[in-house]
Amino acid sequence: MDLSLTETQEMLRTTARDFVERECPTSTALSLDKSETGFSPDIWRKMAELGWVGMILPEAYGGMGSSLTDLAVIYQEMGWAAMPTPLLSSAVLCGLTILEGSTEEQKKQLLPSIAQGERILALALTEPDYGWEPEFVRLTAVAKNDKFVLNGTKLYVPDAHIADQLICVARTSHNTDPRKGITLFLVDKDSPGLSCHTLSGFIGEKVNEVIFDSVEVDRSAVIGEVDKGWPILLPALEKARILLCAYIVGGCQQVWEMTVEYCRSRMQFGVLIGTFQRVQDHVIEIVNEMDAARWTTYEALWKMDEGKPDAARAVLMAKIVASEGYYTACNSSHEVHAGTGVDRNYPLYLHTTKSRAYYDYLGNPLSLRKALGQQLCEG
Amino acid sequence: MDFELYYTEEQEEFRKEVRAWLDANVPPNWKQPADPADITEDMFKVAREFRRKLGEKGWLAPTYPKEYGGGGLSVAHAIIIDEELAERDDIPRVIGDNGLMLFCPAIMVWGTEEQKQRFLPQMLRDGVVTWQGYTEPEAGSDLASLKTRAVRDGNDYIINGEKIFIGADYDVDYIFTLAITNPEAPRHQNIGAFMVPANLPGIKVLRLDLFAWGGQPGKSHVFYEDVRVPATHLIGGETQGWQVTQSSLEVEHGGGGGVVQRHRLLEHVMDYCRETQRNGQPLIKNPDVQQEIVDIFIKSEIGRLLELRNYWMRHARKQGIGYEGSQTSLHRKVTGLEIVAAYQRILGPTALIKDPKWAVHKGAIEVYQREGICTHPGGTIQVQKLIMARRMGISRTKEKAAAFV
Repeated sequence: MDLSLTETQEMLRTTARDFVERECPTSTALSLDKSETGFSPDIWRKMAELGWVGMILPEAYGGMGSSLTDLAVIYQEMGWAAMPTPLLSSAVLCGLTILEGSTEEQKKQLLPSIAQGERILALALTEPDYGWEPEFVRLTAVAKNDKFVLNGTKLYVPDAHIADQLICVARTSHNTDPRKGITLFLVDKDSPGLSCHTLSGFIGEKVNEVIFDSVEVDRSAVIGEVDKGWPILLPALEKARILLCAYIVGGCQQVWEMTVEYCRSRMQFGVLIGTFQRVQDHVIEIVNEMDAARWTTYEALWKMDEGKPDAARAVLMAKIVASEGYYTACNSSHEVHAGTGVDRNYPLYLHTTKSRAYYDYLGNPLSLRKALGQQLCEG
Repeated sequence: MDFELYYTEEQEEFRKEVRAWLDANVPPNWKQPADPADITEDMFKVAREFRRKLGEKGWLAPTYPKEYGGGGLSVAHAIIIDEELAERDDIPRVIGDNGLMLFCPAIMVWGTEEQKQRFLPQMLRDGVVTWQGYTEPEAGSDLASLKTRAVRDGNDYIINGEKIFIGADYDVDYIFTLAITNPEAPRHQNIGAFMVPANLPGIKVLRLDLFAWGGQPGKSHVFYEDVRVPATHLIGGETQGWQVTQSSLEVEHGGGGGVVQRHRLLEHVMDYCRETQRNGQPLIKNPDVQQEIVDIFIKSEIGRLLELRNYWMRHARKQGIGYEGSQTSLHRKVTGLEIVAAYQRILGPTALIKDPKWAVHKGAIEVYQREGICTHPGGTIQVQKLIMARRMGISRTKEKAAAFV
């Protein structure tokens, strides 16, 4: 039992920390958030050059075949810097889905360019009737000769606005079991009938409304088999979920550091505010949420990498703890920061808005607690 | 990063040895009562004798050096012994000893070689019982304001004072006593720490009537009236008692960590929920019950991971404990209160009942309902937060972890 990082991971960590400090200091994170796309092609290109974009994909397809824990080390530093990136959408959610279900020809055609960052993909799953379970997939795909016609709306899709292609999760037939009858389609962003609009709001990820108005795709756009798309998606969803947790842990770390620093510099009533016990209570809340998120996430990563039988349960728990933890930690930090905290030139709000976005992204605590309850009690 | 405990073939052979020894040496027909208050004096004697036998094997303190009565074994061996003990329900469990956990680490840091040779074998090998003589009626969280006095007299110290909420019922061999040795010196620089033999003339032990306290069979109020203690029993310098104390408190506040594998009480409650019907269906199928169980599970898992982290930090000696010890204690105390209420929501009044006909898991839940309220032993929630704030560097007081082995 050894809870330290391997030598390689430690090197990755310091490299990643140097990278984010250099490429995405606070000023950059703030301006990216305020920009229209929230995307820096320059940072993306540099990440691709380092091999980080394709890290999780096999070497045979231009990746590095790294473990989840290796990639999580980088995610944690990106989260610490509140650095926006389409990495999760493109290489993880879509790349791993293609890896799981596509033909060899499709893999050879798509994965290397995904790994090189030349092609950005996004996963269009959730809809206005919102949920991450298969019963919430309502967008229809109807066969018409050698094509399919897609109709419906996907909502809250991250990175759709910068993506070249989308993987659209559609319903091709109805079944008493909602997991059956789902098909995955690879859709070009510039397809006629497809419109994409980035939503505005108090949400720290640029999410999109994507409307499919009789969008036609070739049969060859199917990933895997018709009606059998849902199982292909599951491994990618699970891995993305735990990597997101690592990003959140990094965010919690920054929130804690920021708050401690503020306590040690802000004076009121002639003393540093950190000496007030009611202020200390909030800092204690933050560090407790951070460490709960950290250790449930690290153990889940290990269980996933080792293929442990209870890995799925560990990932559910980590996402619940990390989502709730980041959310609460930011609230507590706002208590300490008061007016400064809501200043959009101060980086706390980047984390607060991300904590809101990631509360729901890839499953919110309410639905995940339900799933965990069923697993624990009936599984 | 590796969360698994791996055992070599040699270590698994050791496990078999431990199991066989336990099979041969546990007291016959031992039934551990769910309520520590139900432990009789006779049972206490049996428990002491078993403890002594464990010590004789070097298994009470497996990782301490053999020369001091420990087992000279690795951490892995210690975990194996802990695991084998935890698996059985025929092991006597409650002895009011703090010596192994708190004072051996302190004596290892602060004791002279002569003191280590004298006291450690008694605690590690012979299974003596040492009580923690800290708290007084007027000095609880504010321990430094204690009033028990030790006055030098030739080669001895004469101790007068009292300690409360200490120890347990029945027998005791030593009381690790804090006393003021220099009333002129400032706070924290005026205390001495003494290993006081409990059978000295002038020591009177009265039992308290409490509804719970940290799993002990009872707690005591101890009076010292002109108790003459040899100066060789002073651990550390005459006014270094506060630093000696800090070493023991570091462990008590959670710095030691631990390797907990299973959440046994939760398992028992879930079994009960599978076997018990309410309104025509097993409790376990009720979605509200499931959510309570999820909550308890998550809180227990976080506690397990924090303990594991501390255990690794201590034994890997990568870095000193900072806020992590108190963080773990705080988590246990706060979630303990929440979990206690959750069990009552799941189970109803049966959670509060001791009568065997209606009690859940032989009354263990009823005990837990009482014990859960006792968040104060080993430092209140407020104290844990104070320490955390200091260790994070935001408090007025700057503080680093004390040395402990």
